[in-house]
Amino acid sequence: MIKKVTTASAVRLKLALSLLVALNWSCTKDNDDPMPLPNGAGVLVINQGNFMDNNGTITYLPPDGSTPTYDIFNQINKRSLTGSLQDYTESDGKGLILVDNTTAGQDKVEIIDANTFQSLATLKSPEIENPRSAIRVSANKVYISCWDVSGNASTGTFFKDPGYIAVVDLTTNTVTRKIPAIKGVETLLLVGNEVFAGSAGDATQLTVIDAINDQLKTGIEIGPNPNPVAVDANGKLWVYSSGEMVRINAQTKAIENRLKIGTDPARSASRFRISADKQYFYFVNSYYDAADNYKEKGEVYRFAITDTSVPTTTPFIKRLFSGMAVEPNSGVIYGGITPSFKQAGYVYRYQATGTLIDSVKAEIAPTVFYFK
Amino acid sequence: MRCRDGVFLSFLIGSFFAANGQTNDTDQTLPTVTVRGTTPERFSVGQKIQRIDSVTLEQFRFQTLTDVLTYTTPIAFKVYGAGQLATSSFRGTSANHTAVLWNGININQPTVGLTDFSTLPVAGFDQLAVQYGSSASCVGSDAVGGSILLMSNPKWQQPGFSASAGQQTGSFRNNGTQAGVRFVTALGKRWQLAGKTFLNLTNYKNDFPYRERGHYFVEHSTTRQKGLIQDLSFRNAKNQQLSFNIWLTDNDLIVSPYDTTVRERTRSQSYRFLSSYETDKLTVRLGYIRDIIDYARGNFDTPSHSETDRLVSRIEKEFTKPFSWENATLRVGGEWSHYWTQVDGYGSSLIQEDRADVFALLRIQLAKWLFSANLRQAFVSRFDPPITPSVGAEYSVLQSATTHLTAKASLGRSYRVPTLNERHWKELGNPNLRPENGFNLEAGLSARWLPANRISLSSEATVFRNRIDDWSYWNPEYGYRVENLQLVVARGLEWNGSVAYTGPLWQSGLSLNYALTHSSQKRVYSTYAQDIIGKQLVYVPKHVGRLSAYVAHGKTRLTIQNQVNSRQYITFDNIQFLRGFVLTNVLLETQVKLGPVATRIQGQVNNLFDTVYLNVKRNAMPGRHFTVQLICNLHTKQ
Repeated sequence: MIKKVTTASAVRLKLALSLLVALNWSCTKDNDDPMPLPNGAGVLVINQGNFMDNNGTITYLPPDGSTPTYDIFNQINKRSLTGSLQDYTESDGKGLILVDNTTAGQDKVEIIDANTFQSLATLKSPEIENPRSAIRVSANKVYISCWDVSGNASTGTFFKDPGYIAVVDLTTNTVTRKIPAIKGVETLLLVGNEVFAGSAGDATQLTVIDAINDQLKTGIEIGPNPNPVAVDANGKLWVYSSGEMVRINAQTKAIENRLKIGTDPARSASRFRISADKQYFYFVNSYYDAADNYKEKGEVYRFAITDTSVPTTTPFIKRLFSGMAVEPNSGVIYGGITPSFKQAGYVYRYQATGTLIDSVKAEIAPTVFYFK
Repeated sequence: MRCRDGVFLSFLIGSFFAANGQTNDTDQTLPTVTVRGTTPERFSVGQKIQRIDSVTLEQFRFQTLTDVLTYTTPIAFKVYGAGQLATSSFRGTSANHTAVLWNGININQPTVGLTDFSTLPVAGFDQLAVQYGSSASCVGSDAVGGSILLMSNPKWQQPGFSASAGQQTGSFRNNGTQAGVRFVTALGKRWQLAGKTFLNLTNYKNDFPYRERGHYFVEHSTTRQKGLIQDLSFRNAKNQQLSFNIWLTDNDLIVSPYDTTVRERTRSQSYRFLSSYETDKLTVRLGYIRDIIDYARGNFDTPSHSETDRLVSRIEKEFTKPFSWENATLRVGGEWSHYWTQVDGYGSSLIQEDRADVFALLRIQLAKWLFSANLRQAFVSRFDPPITPSVGAEYSVLQSATTHLTAKASLGRSYRVPTLNERHWKELGNPNLRPENGFNLEAGLSARWLPANRISLSSEATVFRNRIDDWSYWNPEYGYRVENLQLVVARGLEWNGSVAYTGPLWQSGLSLNYALTHSSQKRVYSTYAQDIIGKQLVYVPKHVGRLSAYVAHGKTRLTIQNQVNSRQYITFDNIQFLRGFVLTNVLLETQVKLGPVATRIQGQVNNLFDTVYLNVKRNAMPGRHFTVQLICNLHTKQ
């Protein structure tokens, strides 16, 4: 009797163990359907994700308008990006994804093959800390603005002073140097051989960098939190700072005009984008509606580079976008809608005239668009 | 093969074992030390209750309540990292819907309305039972998905003095120390005195030898836990008992400890004092609880502070044969508590409130039937909680010396008083919230069968439906302001089965547990809510399975613990999820007796197959790791 039970137990144990092995193995597999790759053309939607969930993703919209591919990085590389996504750019056949994790020391830049989305290398801390925006400055050279490690917001020491710009060499996939920049260094814009760098950290100067030798040049005093927007049809640089669009002579660095945006102090303007013909700017004007439990509301407005005032009375598009971009060839406007950070957002496409073309479901908080 | 099929397969194989009678009632046998059933247990007729046996508690005694519950019950946990915050989802409900009672008093943190299960050590209580489903009429607020009942219990049957000292050491430089004494002695001819003093310390350095697992980051954190238990009970021949219980816990969690800019510290301290006077017919309790949470980032000298004090009192009187009714027991009672809370996030003012409850609980026992009918009305300052009735019935379908089959059903209303944070948090809180309103229905069958002398089988199957309206929701569409917005319906079934063989030399057992839960939001309250209607709630796995099996010879026992969890969605529209996973632990324990000292040695392999699985921050949890624990017990009859 005793012997029999022991044997039964042993058999049972073996069965159970082999079952467990099978289960442990099976749970690591996911079945995948064949999917279109972003080789050559199409639009990448950078979905920021919900910060605490570390779940930013990239959606690929094929050029023929067929079904989007969701979370393409995960589908190709079998792992998720584990962070909120801040920006994306491409250079010389490679893509750079800027990933911000809730845990310090876990921010990174994934370098991928831009055609296959295969991961090639990962730039990690301490080279990359709080990456914000990326631009290609020349062959195999990309600048990435980084706030550096963040401190305590409640004691006013959130932004490390200075932040820096990481210089990435794509032949070796490494950060070759860090250019110290202003506090909270943010948006980057290449104009000729110079890069203009904005700030989110209450700096008042626009940083100027010589993109050939990676040296800081004399900055331009503009006003609180200046960020470069674009160069218009007349070759003028536009910078947004605290309720004003500031027009600058990119060569002499002289401020030529300050254009006030809207009149309502309760509203704030953001996401300035230039039209394909470089004659107009689109922007989002938003506010928190106290009458509706402080829900964020807003619309898109437009003004011409020659306008002398920018009233925010007649919206161009009556929707609040969490991200906006203009396709540089067709002038089609892409707007990201974020119902909440806990469910998928949508991408709405409009003609340059403001006529709605279509909409497509994206992922969590579509914020940045990259036109391949 | 998908994970879902795997779960199903293990379920099938489990049934096969049971059907063949090769195995038997698990470690579910409880030593007969329960003197009085707690109120929720006795009056929640028709509902499922699970008692965690003392062998299992002993195996988990250096671990937390999260660990023991994830391996023995289908409760899903939302875990933020090794040793970090762990909150429950019981039967598809949220973290605010599990009541945790310590000797009958709700010890959920009133500010957040929940318990961080990682802060409660298993060593802190003597008995653990899990009450499934709503039991607002017996428990009060928070008991919407279920209740966790922690009890201190004097061992009146074991007179004498015992001392124990234990040490645990494990991978990642993690270790724990426990020491305590307990005694039961006569005081004259009529009185007995029992006491327990127990101290537990853990120091988890979580010094992982890797920073990543399967390309996912493994977050570093350290946890230091201190706990003190002091129990003292007087009992006389008339079974009148006066008890004093003190339970102090101090949990100090530091995430990213070596980075002085971004490190985060959460220190949770709870001071719980309770005095009770109990007779067969009367219970009077008076308690005082202070909960402190300090959170700091970077600079630990100026934490954000939250402090809540509660004075709790309760009186319950029981009448047998009320109105000369032979088969009935009536219990009536009232509870009153006063809260003082001071939280940095509420502004600087002290917030006070009163809460009171009155209840009447009726239990009727007939030859084959057992009924209960309960009623409770709560009163809360500035609130109007609903009246919560419940009724339940159990019918003994079969009853013989070897077979018991019982059919059960119950229905009841439940509610939850909004948490202090939900009402008072600056800007985001909403003082005009209404209490949530739940309605729970469940029915089940439970069976016990003794087919042969040494073999016992038991099984229970339950189906439930819990509808919760006015579900309060930190609405992400409104910058996470709280609203009574949603209507959630949780439905599911639970099955557990166990087989045990108890021979003169060998014992073995297998216990299986499976739950299917579908819990979703039903109300369209905005254009984009369309995308989340009917979708599984976040962090609620659809399938969970638990398996535990053991073989014992004398004092030596080999145990396998296993948990299976299907994917947990992380977005309301279910487009993203954490993958399902299976975890397995193996334990080997034995006891050596040297003179009067009995030494228990337990070796344990956790995450045997080195599974990569993720927590809610999408960081990887630790891989395979080991612990060894040694507990010396000395018992004298003096």
